Amino acid sequence: MSQKESPVGTASQSDTARRPSTHVRRRVGGLAVAGGSALLLAGCADTPLDTMAPESPIANEINNLFIGVGIVAVIVFILVQGAVIYMARRFRVAPPKDESQIYPDEDFPEQIHGNTRLEIGWTILPTVIMAVVAFFTLGTLFNLDDVSASDNRQIQKVTVVGQQWWWEFQYHLDDDDIPDIVTANELVLPVGEEIYLDVTSRDVIHSFWIPALNGKRDAVPGRTSPWTIEAGALGRFPGECTEFCGLSHAYMEKWVIGVTADDWQVWADNQMADAEVPTDADALAGWEVFSAQCASCHVLNGLTSLNDTDAADSFEIYDGANRLIDKQTQVSGAAPNLSHFASRSTFAGGIFELYENIDDVDYLDLAQAGDLNRGQLEAWITNAPEQKSNAWDSPTGQRGMTPFEALSSDDVDHLVAFLMTLD
Amino acid sequence: MAITEDRPLALESGEVVTKNNRPLGALTRPQSDVGWASWFTTVDHKKIGIMYGVGSLFFFLFGGVEALLIRIQLSQPGNSFLSESLYNQVFTMHGVTMVFLVIMPMAAAFANYLLPLQVGARDVAFPRLNAFSFWCWLAGAIFLNTSWFLGGAPDGGWFAYAPNTSATFAPGNGMDFYAIGLQIAGIASLVSAINLIVTVLNMRAPGMTLLKMPIFTWMMLVVQFLLLFAVPVITIALFLLTFDRSFDANFFNVAEGGSPLLWQHLFWIFGHPEVYILILPAFGIISEVIPTFSRKPIFGYPFMVGSGIAIGFMGWGVWAHHMFVSGLGPISVAAFSLSTMFIAVPTGVKILNWLATMWGGRLRFNTSMLFAVGVITMFTIGGLSGVTHAVAPSDTQQTDTYYIVAHFHYVIFGGALLGMFSGFYFWWPKVFGHKLNEKWGKINFWTMLIGFNVTFGPMHVLGLQGMARRHHSYAEADGFTVWNQVVSLGSFVIAIGVLAFLINVVVSRREAKRNPVEMGPDPWDARSLEWSTASPTPVHNFDKDPVVQYQDDWWHRKWGTNDEGTIVRIAHPEDIADDGSNTNVHLPSPSYWPLVLSFSLPIIGYAIIFSLWLLIPAGIMFLAGFVGWALEPADDPEAAHGHDDHDDHGDNHDAATVSVGAEGASVD
Repeated sequence: MSQKESPVGTASQSDTARRPSTHVRRRVGGLAVAGGSALLLAGCADTPLDTMAPESPIANEINNLFIGVGIVAVIVFILVQGAVIYMARRFRVAPPKDESQIYPDEDFPEQIHGNTRLEIGWTILPTVIMAVVAFFTLGTLFNLDDVSASDNRQIQKVTVVGQQWWWEFQYHLDDDDIPDIVTANELVLPVGEEIYLDVTSRDVIHSFWIPALNGKRDAVPGRTSPWTIEAGALGRFPGECTEFCGLSHAYMEKWVIGVTADDWQVWADNQMADAEVPTDADALAGWEVFSAQCASCHVLNGLTSLNDTDAADSFEIYDGANRLIDKQTQVSGAAPNLSHFASRSTFAGGIFELYENIDDVDYLDLAQAGDLNRGQLEAWITNAPEQKSNAWDSPTGQRGMTPFEALSSDDVDHLVAFLMTLD
Repeated sequence: MAITEDRPLALESGEVVTKNNRPLGALTRPQSDVGWASWFTTVDHKKIGIMYGVGSLFFFLFGGVEALLIRIQLSQPGNSFLSESLYNQVFTMHGVTMVFLVIMPMAAAFANYLLPLQVGARDVAFPRLNAFSFWCWLAGAIFLNTSWFLGGAPDGGWFAYAPNTSATFAPGNGMDFYAIGLQIAGIASLVSAINLIVTVLNMRAPGMTLLKMPIFTWMMLVVQFLLLFAVPVITIALFLLTFDRSFDANFFNVAEGGSPLLWQHLFWIFGHPEVYILILPAFGIISEVIPTFSRKPIFGYPFMVGSGIAIGFMGWGVWAHHMFVSGLGPISVAAFSLSTMFIAVPTGVKILNWLATMWGGRLRFNTSMLFAVGVITMFTIGGLSGVTHAVAPSDTQQTDTYYIVAHFHYVIFGGALLGMFSGFYFWWPKVFGHKLNEKWGKINFWTMLIGFNVTFGPMHVLGLQGMARRHHSYAEADGFTVWNQVVSLGSFVIAIGVLAFLINVVVSRREAKRNPVEMGPDPWDARSLEWSTASPTPVHNFDKDPVVQYQDDWWHRKWGTNDEGTIVRIAHPEDIADDGSNTNVHLPSPSYWPLVLSFSLPIIGYAIIFSLWLLIPAGIMFLAGFVGWALEPADDPEAAHGHDDHDDHGDNHDAATVSVGAEGASVD
């Protein structure tokens, strides 16, 4: 599995997202904490998942707290280490000539059994240090809990659903419980707006994490955990799954895409439109393949939705918006909604780039101006488990995408043509 | 020794009790205490301690190889040296092995061998239970590792978070082996905890009040109490998991109203005291080593004891710091953040007391001392990174990254394991009658220390750069490659360090055989009672019951103060130490039944996993073990102990004969 992609940076936006100079400066701070070598690290490659390169006010506050505590820790370490080295030099005695006698007789240092004042002193000292650390910790903790989302925000909240091994984002733009936009692996957000998240899972525990923007929040099945996220700058911010979730735990990426408020509205209007039956002949043939092979798991708004729910006992409502999928297919009952597949920059749990030139094209123009990464997409369609381990053939129920090796190359071509109409 | 008596019992009438009621056949207790077969039936705490040590080192190699496999896999971006499935099994078993099959039994090795000696007893309180503990642990360890050949090892992580470990999401047998294997090993810990607590509380030499016990004994006592209360919690959790997986219960099944967070709470209420179970033995060891090689008493003895107890208590109130990102809510997070910070206080007190012990001392940096000082510095790094984890907001960034992998390896490797190695070098002459080679020892220490820092130091950086743990691979573009290569290189340096230790064991033994040096009882001018008897320790430990006046009593028998206040030698250890020549000591007889009983448990495990029919042979074996244990004579007068050549006719009344253990005494 070497197909993971270059994580940061679309087009014009990525320059503001990267700011390499601050990376280096902040990383040196982190390195001092690690007690490692700053020189070596500064020479390292860019690390897009860096926890010490904050791009949002939240991440920045966390980072400042960490650096402060880290400095205290480094000072304490230097004092202890210094004491040990000093004593090792000053008080060491040479080994005796005769190994059978460990010390020369009666060469004793002063036999001090203790000193109550000192003991009280060095009980109070760490207590005071810890109290100071605790003061700032609790301050930050409750401050971060105090969300500053505005009342007239564009997004009421986003429900984040972890699933083996991809992420679903359900946007709620109004107050009802039905999601207005359902997408996968890429959370497109207007820059500078703190967004409420409800984090949950359909199967096992995952963890939602975009290091540049905020810490982690576990996605626990049966619970919704509140969290917030704010894209503090334009750009693509990657995040890994960080709660061990089985086979492809390492291949479950998600991205926050920070765009301007206006761009976000354009994006959202497009996402809310239904998918349509294509007019192009190849794509039309692809739609037929899709409805025969793919539609029992993947939803296309307006195409695979059934309006007559009574007619389909074996189907159940997926994501609450009258989108129905086959109960029998997946353990979780869900697969990524592909209504606007071609508008995304990645697929397969965010690990493969859908377009080869995502760094050069504006995110909103990808469907039009992107160079399709056709080989990877076709490989994924014909044999997904080979591209990324999953449990499609598990005796306890399918988890992950089935291989479709029986598809003819024409079928695959048609399918890709159809998928590319889903912009 | 609380329980002593003259043997044979002399009745008031003067009539001599004769033992002619020996049972026959299988219920005869085994006789031999020499030869390889004797190891299977021994109830001698020293032999059991050695077996724990050998067993833990054996599994240390297992866990080490698993670590190297992980590091080979991560040495290149996008590597496929291990498949995802195998990688998950290997890192799960690395954690399970190192915690349950290496550090815990290694601590048990020291506890078993040394606690009775340090409190001046002849054995533990319940010698057969002690043997049962060891065989149970070994049975659990073997059972766990047979999973490799029976459908795959556990693959849900050592922490086994539900519901990823449910039958739906982990349909193989691996997690069954995990749940049942740890259950069996847990029985060992629990039984052993009770045994050692009773030993320390009831069997101390006359005069040894609690506050005259060596620090090692104290820390081990705290550990046993932690085990006594922590093991039942994991027992319950593992039962729930087994019932979920094997009998369709729904404790953690969300669809049926179960709670995945229930598992997390149970696991960490066990799991955090477990951290102190792993580290306090090492604290105890270096609290013996540092004074000895500083030629000073431990600084602030009552504070060392008190801080150990405080850590033991506070260790129960910090578990949810493992769950800062689980969504507990800010109030819970704040509470556990605070409790976690303040557990740093007693830990800090310990570190400062060790430093104060060294201050002004005559520091002898032999290998044992080097490892002990290594613990102070390396554990301090782990402790300080632990404080950064207690800072809950920043923990949300660092948790489940390599930063935390670095943190707990600095604690468990840099603390616990280095401490045990210090203990190996320190007590080797007591156990085997010869020192370990110093030259190889230095090679062992420095390669291990450097390898350790090269391996785990850069992991701090990788974690801060955002490398998540338990990931099968990483991408070139993540920028983690260089440091991962350094880390992988370091792991092989550690392997060389471990190899140097094994070479040292062999070389030292050969040298001792070829050129036997008369090994005094007390080669380090040490302070506690185990050094007051011959090396290797005689089978009956002490020729006569020690009587204790002082803390560090043995040292006070060697050294006194003259009128000017100068320390002067009172006696040479060779002249006052027991030489092991007393043969009038009655010791508990060996027994077959601990072995039989304990090895019925893994068969029950296989029955739950594969076929309940196996319960028939398992049940027969289990019952046979119980019945045999109950019916065999508690004390077989014909049993030889090598040294027990006193006659049974009662004309030896003036000799100090001693019977060991509550078992023997209650029946005699």
